[in-house]
Amino acid sequence: MLKGFGTFLLKELKELVRDPKILLPMIVIPLVMFPVLGAVMGYAVQTAQEQAIKAKLIVVNNDGGGWSNSFVSFLKRLNVTIYVVNNTKLDDKKVLELLSQHNATQILEIPKGFSENVTAHFSNPAVKASLRFYSVLAGTSIFEGTGSSVIDVLINQFNRAVAPDVVYSEKAAVIKGEIKYGVDPAVVSGLLMSQSIALPLTVLILLSYAPQIAAASMAIEKEEKTLETLLTLPMDRLAILWGKLSSSIIVAAVGAVAYMAGYSYMFSSIMAGAPASLNLDLASLGLVPSAWGYLLLGLSLFVAMISALALAVILSAFAEDVRSAQSLVSNIYPLVFVPSIALIYLDINTLPFALKLVLFAIPFSHPVIASKAVVMGDYWTAGLGIVYVSAFTLVVMYVASKLFATEKILTAKLKIKGLKTRRSEKPAEEI
Amino acid sequence: MSLAVEASNVVKVFGNVRALDGLSFAVRPGETYGLIGPNGAGKTTALRIVSTLLLPTAGTVKVFGLDVVKEAGEVRKVISYLPEEAGAYRYLSGWEYLEFMAKFNAKSKDEVRAMVMEAAEICGLGERLKDKTKTYSKGMKRRLLVARALMTKPKLAILDEPTSGLDVVHAYHVREIIKRYVETHGVTVLLSSHNMLEVEHLCDRVALINKGRIVAEGAPQELKEKFGCKNLEEVFARVVKIA
Ligand SMILES: Nc1ncnc2c1ncn2[C@@H]1O[C@H](COP(=O)(O)OP(=O)(O)OP(=O)(O)O)[C@@H](O)[C@H]1O
Ligand SMILES: [Mg+2]
Repeated sequence: MLKGFGTFLLKELKELVRDPKILLPMIVIPLVMFPVLGAVMGYAVQTAQEQAIKAKLIVVNNDGGGWSNSFVSFLKRLNVTIYVVNNTKLDDKKVLELLSQHNATQILEIPKGFSENVTAHFSNPAVKASLRFYSVLAGTSIFEGTGSSVIDVLINQFNRAVAPDVVYSEKAAVIKGEIKYGVDPAVVSGLLMSQSIALPLTVLILLSYAPQIAAASMAIEKEEKTLETLLTLPMDRLAILWGKLSSSIIVAAVGAVAYMAGYSYMFSSIMAGAPASLNLDLASLGLVPSAWGYLLLGLSLFVAMISALALAVILSAFAEDVRSAQSLVSNIYPLVFVPSIALIYLDINTLPFALKLVLFAIPFSHPVIASKAVVMGDYWTAGLGIVYVSAFTLVVMYVASKLFATEKILTAKLKIKGLKTRRSEKPAEEI
Repeated sequence: MSLAVEASNVVKVFGNVRALDGLSFAVRPGETYGLIGPNGAGKTTALRIVSTLLLPTAGTVKVFGLDVVKEAGEVRKVISYLPEEAGAYRYLSGWEYLEFMAKFNAKSKDEVRAMVMEAAEICGLGERLKDKTKTYSKGMKRRLLVARALMTKPKLAILDEPTSGLDVVHAYHVREIIKRYVETHGVTVLLSSHNMLEVEHLCDRVALINKGRIVAEGAPQELKEKFGCKNLEEVFARVVKIA
């Protein structure tokens, strides 16, 4: 349909693959950057655990015996923010009620018989006392669930003071208003974290890398003076635009795989310290996107990608050489970086309205928003985002095709002086 | 039979520069027509308009009866344009470059091969065609591009300073090829040049352009007689001084 598209795409790919300026960073950067990132994030998880101690903990004391009281005062001595409720039978409804009543995310239940079991432990070490820990998982922040490992640390300290292994905890995760017994929130959130970081990061890489490639390949046609010849050939001029878009998508996708390899290495180094039982199945907990969700996600990423690439090609069409093209394109970076990074750590639903609006207005935040929305089964947010980004993409593509249809593609230019860009007013000697 | 190129009253304005100021000329099919004139006269601008790269501010240009603005797509099928300053793709070999270019004009694989073989002969690069074009010298690149422009045997070849940067031997070779193409393949040529020898040798008719306007036109012999000069160089100097 686009005359010359296949021929042009083939040429583009050949050039990209042979250009060391493009291949080097696609392979070297991921292999260096991600292990470093891994170390940084490992540190971040540690800090989060320290933070988690300060989070409010509801202690439901159904025992009332001596050991239970000494456990509570032990927590108080360690400066854990606790709220004690006595003698409340916990069922699913009550757990949810307590959590929302106190605006807390974690409950520690001291069951009846706790003190008795601790005492019995001294004569018969086989007897142990259990605690039950409930923690809410909204799946929106990577550090959720760290509270669970904090509890383990606290219990360990208590055991060290009393007797080895006397107290242990049974974990339950509160997911989407349902209580899943025997599910350790730390493990779930670890798995979720891989999802909620892996995707935004991939988005980030694709959206920052591909436009650079597209911009460079457009600008190089101008710098090497090949564009003029190209524009007089019997081909569809839009094939040039689409050839550049497609080849940069392909190369960026290959790059993304390299990045993901580096990333999974990084992630395994973070998770090395995590407890076993990692073979927990997220799907059975309803925390994995359905096929429909994946489709929306792919679509969202695709439209955002096309708009970013088209934007890059338009911008680079105004530049006279590769360097100015790339610095022009880097102007869209904040729009890619800020939402991706912010949304890794923040839950968009809890942000102030104005901030939310800003994030929704930026087309490049939608793939990340969608990645979180589909995990939680919120297809509307993802769908509307796709509609919005598609509209934006159509506008950009329209502008791009107009640009390619006229002499503007050859004569348009922006001069870059320091940080300022302006349309050149004086005619230049050459194009 | 329609004219190969018919430019009437073409005006091109860049910001506050009037690059072309009512330029009119006609090129007959099968002839070689040269634009000559001092730097900045508007030769390149005129050739770019004919090759559908720039839009005229006013006036019309027709190539074999096709309007370069309204029927640009059709025009591109019958022309081949060699820019004044052009490059090849650095990471493609000479062969690959020619093949890439041939595919846009050829209708079959055989035709692509025929074109590339033709180009290989024109450029005379031999074994060096296997190397990446980034390893070529300026003149070698130019020869590759000239070959590219001619290999498709276009109805109209638009050549902006075809032999610039070539050594004497290769410039001579390229001129002979252009001549041969006109004679054997019926190619019409519209070129610009600063080399008066070349123009006299190649062109059936020339137009002397100054400040975007034609100041003299005719066969080289006619012009020499008209201005009473021994060669075109003198004619050029006389006319430009007068204008
Ligand atoms: N893209 C452009 N933007 C602004 N001005 C231009 C542009 N292209 C050409 N001009 C101006 O138009 C005039 C004619 O330029 P042109 O390149 O056609 O001259 P020329 O006859 O080819 O000169 P030369 O012999 O140096 O190649 C010049 O004054 C030039 O500055
Ligand atoms: Mg010129």
